[in-house]
Amino acid sequence: MTDAYLFDALRTPRGKGKSSGALFGVKPVELLAQCFNALTARQDFDTAAVDDAIIGCVTPTDDQGAVIAKAGLLYAGWSEKVPGIQLNRFCASGLEAVNLAAMKIRSGWSDLIVAGGVESMSRVPMGSDGGALLFDPEVMARVNYVPQGVSADLIATIEGFSREDLDQYALRSQERSAYAWEKSYFNSSVIPIRDFNGISVLEKDEHLRPGTTLEQLASLRPAFADLGAAGFEAMALQKYPEVENIEYQHTAGNSSGIVDGAAVALIGSEASGKSHGLKARARIRACAVVGTEPTIMLTGPAPASRKALQLAGMQPSDIDLWEVNEAFASVVLKFQRELDVADEQLNVNGGAIAMGHPLGATGTMLLGTLLDELERRDLNTGLVTMCIGGGMGIATIIERV
Amino acid sequence: MIHYKKDIDNIVTLTLDMANRNVNIINHEIGEAFIPVIRHLKDEKEKGALRGVIITSAKKSFLAGGDLDYLYQNQEAEAIFEFSKKLKSFFRDIESPGVPVVAAINGTALGTGFEMALACHHRVVIDDVNIQLGHPEVSLGLMPGSGGVLRLMWLLGIEKAFTILTSGRSYNPQEAMELGIIDELASTPKEMLEKARDWILATEEGRRPWDRLKSKIPGGTMRHPAVANRVRILTAQLAKKYGHNYPAPRAILNTLVEASKVDFTTAEKIESRYFTQLLMSKAARNMTKVFWYDFNAIKNGENRPKGFGKFRPKKVGIVGAGTMGSGIAYICILNGMDVVLKDVSKGIAERGKEYSAKQLQELEQTQKITASAREHLLSRIQTTESSEDFADCDLVIESVFENEMVKSKVTKEAERYMDRYAFLATNTLSIPITHLAGSSSRPENFVGLHFFAPVSEVPLVEIVKGELTSDETIARAFDFVKKIRKTPIIAKDSWGFYASRVLNTYVLEGISMLQEGYAPALIENLGVQAGMPKGALAMADDSSLKMILRYENQAAVNYGPKYIQHPSVATLHKMINVLDRPGKGLNSHGFYDYPNEGEPYIWPELTTHFPTTKTEWDRHELIERFMFAQVIEAVWCLQEKIIKSVPEANLGSVYGWGFPAFKGGTLQYINDYGVEAFVEQCQHYEQLHGPRFKVPRLLRKRAEKGETF
Repeated sequence: MTDAYLFDALRTPRGKGKSSGALFGVKPVELLAQCFNALTARQDFDTAAVDDAIIGCVTPTDDQGAVIAKAGLLYAGWSEKVPGIQLNRFCASGLEAVNLAAMKIRSGWSDLIVAGGVESMSRVPMGSDGGALLFDPEVMARVNYVPQGVSADLIATIEGFSREDLDQYALRSQERSAYAWEKSYFNSSVIPIRDFNGISVLEKDEHLRPGTTLEQLASLRPAFADLGAAGFEAMALQKYPEVENIEYQHTAGNSSGIVDGAAVALIGSEASGKSHGLKARARIRACAVVGTEPTIMLTGPAPASRKALQLAGMQPSDIDLWEVNEAFASVVLKFQRELDVADEQLNVNGGAIAMGHPLGATGTMLLGTLLDELERRDLNTGLVTMCIGGGMGIATIIERV
Repeated sequence: MIHYKKDIDNIVTLTLDMANRNVNIINHEIGEAFIPVIRHLKDEKEKGALRGVIITSAKKSFLAGGDLDYLYQNQEAEAIFEFSKKLKSFFRDIESPGVPVVAAINGTALGTGFEMALACHHRVVIDDVNIQLGHPEVSLGLMPGSGGVLRLMWLLGIEKAFTILTSGRSYNPQEAMELGIIDELASTPKEMLEKARDWILATEEGRRPWDRLKSKIPGGTMRHPAVANRVRILTAQLAKKYGHNYPAPRAILNTLVEASKVDFTTAEKIESRYFTQLLMSKAARNMTKVFWYDFNAIKNGENRPKGFGKFRPKKVGIVGAGTMGSGIAYICILNGMDVVLKDVSKGIAERGKEYSAKQLQELEQTQKITASAREHLLSRIQTTESSEDFADCDLVIESVFENEMVKSKVTKEAERYMDRYAFLATNTLSIPITHLAGSSSRPENFVGLHFFAPVSEVPLVEIVKGELTSDETIARAFDFVKKIRKTPIIAKDSWGFYASRVLNTYVLEGISMLQEGYAPALIENLGVQAGMPKGALAMADDSSLKMILRYENQAAVNYGPKYIQHPSVATLHKMINVLDRPGKGLNSHGFYDYPNEGEPYIWPELTTHFPTTKTEWDRHELIERFMFAQVIEAVWCLQEKIIKSVPEANLGSVYGWGFPAFKGGTLQYINDYGVEAFVEQCQHYEQLHGPRFKVPRLLRKRAEKGETF
């Protein structure tokens, strides 16, 4: 079977996902197109050779509606021969794009694919595309579908994580992210966003709060207590009646940040790499998605990782570095407990709590961060995993070549 | 059935007057009667000989509602859907663009009756506080099915319509006016018709907003993000309030959400689908049984001793101005009686009166009563420290604390001054009435009246018949309970009477589960999710563990050698005697800790003494155990004639201690489950959990004969 190789991965900086954010004034199609163009600037290949552009986007409406993948390609001036598809697997969309690209390559029916994701959360707010899971009262009631923050607090309650555990983790995310930026670990893969006159708009992640202290984190208000009290806790306890009360411990400080951003990765077969002069940096060893209990919703990373490891014929001990999306601190801590991963191998350059989680793009970003870090440390294997709305999980394993 | 009258201005007045009924109701009969009328009106309109239509009623009420008997008997989805469709098309005929139509509402219009009013272009109502308007369907597990949901949404928006429809409240004309569900008030029937005529003459064409191209639902449709986000919260609120047990509020929200996105004709179909679903639902059948049929059976005096004239009490004596006594005093004055409130000193009695003062003040602040009404009502309570003031009372209620000596003393003292004809009622939870009657000089006029706390909220009173209590006293007690607008059930003088005895089994079952190693939170949450008002352990604390044990000891005395001890008794002893956790009290805790501030929480050490060993559980089975324990005990009560009728058992359980209404009460639970299936499951649980799940003889016989309750 043909293997799928990762030739390159890059991303935009992440802007604060609100009207004061630097990228609020930049269209999402622009973010995506600048990624496409950065890719052709770094790698010399004929865009007409690209078989597909698979782009994740979680709120594909308004500025992001109508297959933003194709819009971005055309806007960027790529060959009209490149088709585009927009996909949505909620928070894992950017990683699902990579996985689908890998599958297309491995099937032999495609040779070269751009995978990626885009999300302007400032321009197109979460939930603004409606949806049965979020807004159909009958569906919500049947499923006991609660807001993710309530699920995250439910995980913390069941696992017995204290507020301090969560804040400690958040602090580490801030410290590691700030350190990585300080040491320029991200520089090679983060492209500056410019306006159409070439003036720089944003060059670095904007959401970070370097110098954050535990005291500051501890002073933040629980973000989901009101939603719980409105009735979502009662819904959650329908599924988890052994819990007396949910303890509300997630705050804006120990949950992922709302940001804008985009990312792309170039994936292809060995043969296409050769014919286009592209250097393979890693091989995609395995990928997996799973469905899990939808009320607690965010427990997918462990089973998805196990599934991917099994497909690759690997053990957790075979993985050098892990990227677990920091949707909420409790998600990472639960995963870490389940797979017994050492702090030193987990989210070594911080993550979404510090830098933000641009929903559709995050998966591709995590993959790029992991690849860069494996190279920097000269390690071999890495696994990216994410929790997903609706009760799903995803994992991708890469190995340097 | 429909009187037709046309005046010189070509305005037709249709007066509804159904034959052989006290009230007009909406059913297929009236629908059919309207067919030729509507045809005739259309002809008149085409000829240009129709200026407008006024619909009013010849009865005291306008339209009482739908035909519940017809709907209750009908259990075919297609037939119900067709029924709903027919009524809808009838209402559409009334409102379809054309001549203006006014509902001249001369009396109560509820349910389908109010739907008809909503289908008219304009509503004029007589400003009489006794007129009730609105949609009570949800309290029977139903919803409007003739466009009422849609028209309310178009009038007020999704959220207001949701609130009105899910509250099940009815409104007097002033309130209805404020809400915006009617248009004009009139002081007399004559003025009502004049205002109706004036409006017609000033109105060119009758056309509803949804029949106009550009009109919008107030507040916006589900497409509006703010509305969508509110709907999310409403969904969560429903889950919190009803735990998914009640399909009607959910169907109402579903209808509003979907209907807001489509045209009126499609919306009508959606409403009919949900209406049909509800009518077919077990919850609606059970709720209609208990809140309509059982309620009416009791209200109509089915269980009241026959042959005694109506008792009209004017003055009530109350001994003991504690929480119960002051609560009873308050509902007595609210319902038109004078009260003599006595305690050991006038000062203490005054404190009891203050409770009423406070309640009345709230009523005034929320504009339910005027300041002068408040003063007048409060003046009805006379406080005293002397039983002499009971001389002209029609009855005296003794509500001192649960101590036999004290109760005998106040009984004797009160009877010394009471009128010969007056009766004395004792409010006790656990002392046998026959026993207390021993200190009465006229035990035939001595009866138990078991009020539940809080008195102003719980709609049930148990009348307990002592051995010597006369039927006449029972009849009078019955009339008194009805006069304070509560539901009377008559129970035999036995431990715990009916309500406390059956509730006790729920509590004991929960304690057994704790003993078996289930997590306390699990027990509590599943109790609530089963539809009970609180977890079993919380209810145990509320009534105090000693009281629960006392009932169990009384049961032991009652059954003698046949008594089989409940497995949870050991835990009760341990909690009371070893762990010093006798339940909720001034300085005491129980299964829960009761902090001075903040919510109670499960005693953290509880699992140290009763370790959680069961990490897996069968949710369905645990919930059934809670229900079966109560239902089987209710059957024992029926068999032992503690309670005599099915309606009393059902309504008593729902009103008395909050047995889940969607199950229709303790005995309706068996009908709902299927009598045979219930018996089989009892046998299964008997094997698993012991003889407390044994099938009582009465139930076995019914199952053999294929009879229901």
